[in-house]
Amino acid sequence: MKTLLRGDAVSARRPYERPYQAYLYILPGFVIYLVFVLWPIVSTVRYSLTEWTGFTTPRYVGLANYERLAKDEFFWNALGNNAFFVLFYTILPILVALLLTSLMTRRHLRGMTIFRVGLFVPQVMSAVVVGIIWRWMFDYRGPLNSFLREIGLTELARPWLGDFTWAPYAAGLVGTWVEYGLCMVLFIAGVQSISDELYDAARVDGANLWHEFRHVTLPGLQQQLLVAFVVTFIAALRVFDLVFVLTRGGPGRETQVVSMLIYERAFEYHEVGYGAAMALVMTVLIVSVSAITFYVQSRREERENAR
Amino acid sequence: MKLPRLLPILLVVALVSAGALPLSSPAVAQEQITLVVWDNWTRDAEQEMIEILNDEFEAAHPGVTIKRATYATDDLTNILPLELSSDSGPDVTMINQGYSGMGALVEAGLLLPLNDYADKYGWWDRYAMGLHSRNSFSADGKQFGVGNLYGVSNTAEVVGVYYHRSIFEEQGLEIPKTLAEMEALMDKLLEAGITPIVFGSLDGWPAIHEFSVLQGVYITLEELDAFMYRLENGTFDTEANLKAAQKLVEWVDKGYFSPGFAGMDYDGATFGAFLNQEGAMWITGNWMTGSIIEELGDEAVGFFAFPSEQEGVPAIVPGGVGLAYGIRAGTKYPDLAAEYIDLVTGPRAAELLFERGFFPATALDPALLTPGTLTADVFDVWQAVNKANAVGHWLDWTAPNIAANIQELMGKQVTPEEFVADVEAEYRGG
Repeated sequence: MKTLLRGDAVSARRPYERPYQAYLYILPGFVIYLVFVLWPIVSTVRYSLTEWTGFTTPRYVGLANYERLAKDEFFWNALGNNAFFVLFYTILPILVALLLTSLMTRRHLRGMTIFRVGLFVPQVMSAVVVGIIWRWMFDYRGPLNSFLREIGLTELARPWLGDFTWAPYAAGLVGTWVEYGLCMVLFIAGVQSISDELYDAARVDGANLWHEFRHVTLPGLQQQLLVAFVVTFIAALRVFDLVFVLTRGGPGRETQVVSMLIYERAFEYHEVGYGAAMALVMTVLIVSVSAITFYVQSRREERENAR
Repeated sequence: MKLPRLLPILLVVALVSAGALPLSSPAVAQEQITLVVWDNWTRDAEQEMIEILNDEFEAAHPGVTIKRATYATDDLTNILPLELSSDSGPDVTMINQGYSGMGALVEAGLLLPLNDYADKYGWWDRYAMGLHSRNSFSADGKQFGVGNLYGVSNTAEVVGVYYHRSIFEEQGLEIPKTLAEMEALMDKLLEAGITPIVFGSLDGWPAIHEFSVLQGVYITLEELDAFMYRLENGTFDTEANLKAAQKLVEWVDKGYFSPGFAGMDYDGATFGAFLNQEGAMWITGNWMTGSIIEELGDEAVGFFAFPSEQEGVPAIVPGGVGLAYGIRAGTKYPDLAAEYIDLVTGPRAAELLFERGFFPATALDPALLTPGTLTADVFDVWQAVNKANAVGHWLDWTAPNIAANIQELMGKQVTPEEFVADVEAEYRGG
């Protein structure tokens, strides 16, 4: 703040006499934040303590919604599906992106930009478009099954998105396809900031691709890994659109995620209070996982700096 | 470039002065009345239909001007509570059914009960009593499906069986009159290597219709109403529902439905499969009639009512009526409003709706229909189930999750007994 105000001294004002001026500058942004973020959160907390249909008068019920949540098998099922999706939205994309990054940064290939753009495309497309494309890919008469039948694996062909065993994997893989692009771009940027000398030194020491990756690339990407983890983890916990377009949460409740359950409870069953309680639990979960991750990382950095 | 811009202005001026003239003329002694009407006719063809009716109404009632405004369904539901409590609110308005729509308005005392007008104009005979229940609420707005009538509808939806006439002819098949005949017909199709029923459950909701038609074979309308309107004796745990669930699983096992149905969506895969004759029949609603005619013409496909166990008695099938016309409790012109509703939900409106490809709820002049066409078939089915008071319900109104339960049933994840118990548990909990 101080440097900012000092820069303002050109206009011959004496900044230290009127410290509230600084607050005036952030006021517009803060008002927007207050109205569209903080106030809704406070309202959600209040609604979560009521029984409310959305159009009648809310009735205060204390913690009843949370008690019900703890016993709601659909909620735990949906949360379990979210956890399953973490594998496909977070772990797999990071692994795929690391592989692609080490392949793409090792030497300069012709047309590298085209490859990068092409690989990033899934991340840019709207989730609804992605969902419709993959619905078609996974269709019983679609390309994937046609391919399987073509190569003689007819017995493997199945209605992927409607199959009680395979639908979660199929829906999850689409998430991987969407999320790896973001991780890859992060990692490529990270690798470019690693000094070439480190790679040269490794090569002089006779390092192969794996050694280079393990001892130079990976340690240099810690920050990017952290960001990729948090962003994709949040994506896995709050996913709605992609799964909704792909399977509507089905078959049965095999791919139903918490955000869909919140929508169902609040707007189809008119149990807004209960939906709010669910939303709040997810918020707390997401915020705490992000906070823990950043805390662990900052501790590690401190230790490294102290060394 | 000047003229096109000027033209609308000139038109407006011309219209205003033309309209203003009789107003200022002392020769007209009649009272000038403006009837404010809100509706849901957003599509071009619908606008055309209602404008014709409004002109006819104005012509028949000198001095009456209709001021019309159009809103999307959700908007209507959201703004009506506020607008109906104000004096400048609509005298006549279309209302969405259910607790959040009509129920909330009745609870706040904003709607006029229409029972007397229904007696006077014979609205009760327009369509089945079971359908009037959908526009009915107890006077306190707490109980759906009983008590006073608060609205009259003019469009209809019904689920039936579309079939390819050519496949039926080639295989020498007749329209089945009983469930047993239907099953025999499907066995024959299977022997000939033809999928009997095109079906896809990826979207969830189409599975509801598959279960519903079988449920309609065994259940009585009283039982179904009690469940749907959450009456005291309302329950899902009935013999009829168990039988329907068992029959549905039997049909899956026999291979009556499209192979890989669990992965087929409605608009693309299922519709496409039916058009390509990848199956002989399709159990779905009359809303697909227009699309089918557009692709295959009016004669390639027919439509019949899902049969029950007894010949000549249609099974209860999912269906309903569109948004209903109601009257604001505080209106100054209740009689005129009722007369307007009589026109826009009556035979003249039905004719205009039909000409534009919509499905009127009320009876239609048979002369308008060409026998042997899909359009005529669909009307016959609607009239038949309507006359038999066999129009059932959209189960997800009361059980929003039932599609997931039916997917589990058809995917053999649960037994029919477990299915019934699961739906019942959600019904009790929800």
